[in-house]
Amino acid sequence: MLALSRSLPPLAYALYSLALALILGLGTAYWSVRGTYPLGRTQTQGWTAFPKLGARDVDPYARAILARTGDIPLGLGEGIALLAEADSEGRALDAACRYRISGITPVARFWTLTLYGPDGRPVRTELERSGFTSAEVVRDAEGHFEIALARLPQAGNWLQTPAQGRLRAILRLYDTPVAGSLSWLDPGSLPTVRREGCP
Amino acid sequence: MTDLGRFIVATLCGLALAGMVHIGAILAMPFFAEGDALSRLRATSASNNAELLDGTAAGWLPTPDPAVMVGACAYNLDEGPLRISARARGLFQSVSLHGRGSGVYYALTDRAAVRGALDLVIMTQRQLDLTQATEDEDEPSRDLRIVAPNRTGFVIVRVLAAFPSQRAAAIDAVRAVGCTTDPLPNES
Repeated sequence: MLALSRSLPPLAYALYSLALALILGLGTAYWSVRGTYPLGRTQTQGWTAFPKLGARDVDPYARAILARTGDIPLGLGEGIALLAEADSEGRALDAACRYRISGITPVARFWTLTLYGPDGRPVRTELERSGFTSAEVVRDAEGHFEIALARLPQAGNWLQTPAQGRLRAILRLYDTPVAGSLSWLDPGSLPTVRREGCP
Repeated sequence: MTDLGRFIVATLCGLALAGMVHIGAILAMPFFAEGDALSRLRATSASNNAELLDGTAAGWLPTPDPAVMVGACAYNLDEGPLRISARARGLFQSVSLHGRGSGVYYALTDRAAVRGALDLVIMTQRQLDLTQATEDEDEPSRDLRIVAPNRTGFVIVRVLAAFPSQRAAAIDAVRAVGCTTDPLPNES
């Protein structure tokens, strides 16, 4: 073995270096843009946002992911999207369970709350409603709202969930001053996602 | 140098080069991608109005907001500055400017409208210099001028239908947004 490798010319080492560089470099580049945005995550009260996506100084990884997915982020001057993939205790949102999204939202001219299936499309159910806007939702006397996510009809604001699959909720605040300062929000100024029960 | 030494040096060189390849690939991706928003929107540059993207159907736009009607116009500033004109119609309306590989470089909402009208002109630095040089100082322009980071990009118009009954009006509002090319200022 040693006798064999002693006869290797310098070119073989150079080719080995280049092959290693290409495989490792392209492989890690591909791997790092496959999933969600790796940098610039702001997590607050159970919701995740990527405020830099809507700014000029978006990081190169997010830029590459945007180029791959074709997504068009909200500009910070337009609003901000907040994503919830888990309930208040950190369990992934499952269409088979019942949830209650309740509370208030930060100051915004409008907001929308939309449920998405695992494919990133708004949920399609018999109710033909995948979300609420701030104008549609019914609130109590203090301005709090409650949205029930369930398969079967519920009193009040009800969003029907599909029969099965993972769920994602996106709360979009349009025309809001908090887009750049999400981490300084007061506790309780974002709605909570509570699990009510699972079959 | 021993064979093991050569092997280690070659491996270290490979790792250093891999880092460069990684950075280069990440930076180049927006310019070679074919599924990015700009490539998909390129066809919208032909129209003089924003074209509605039907994202809620089987569209390509990931996680669309079903309450928001989205329109787009792609631009290439080689043909001249792009003028975006929108009328405030009582619905939430926003305009964002996306440069090729440079993210959102400007965004505003209908709150910025002056007397119910939003007029933006996107231009290159050179076009801005020429426009300012040939401008009549007694009649200052009311346009909001924005220098684009590069020549190609796209404009996104979003109109919110807060109730399903406002959808038709929101779609009309998207289609009414003008994206026209201004004549190039005379070079003299």
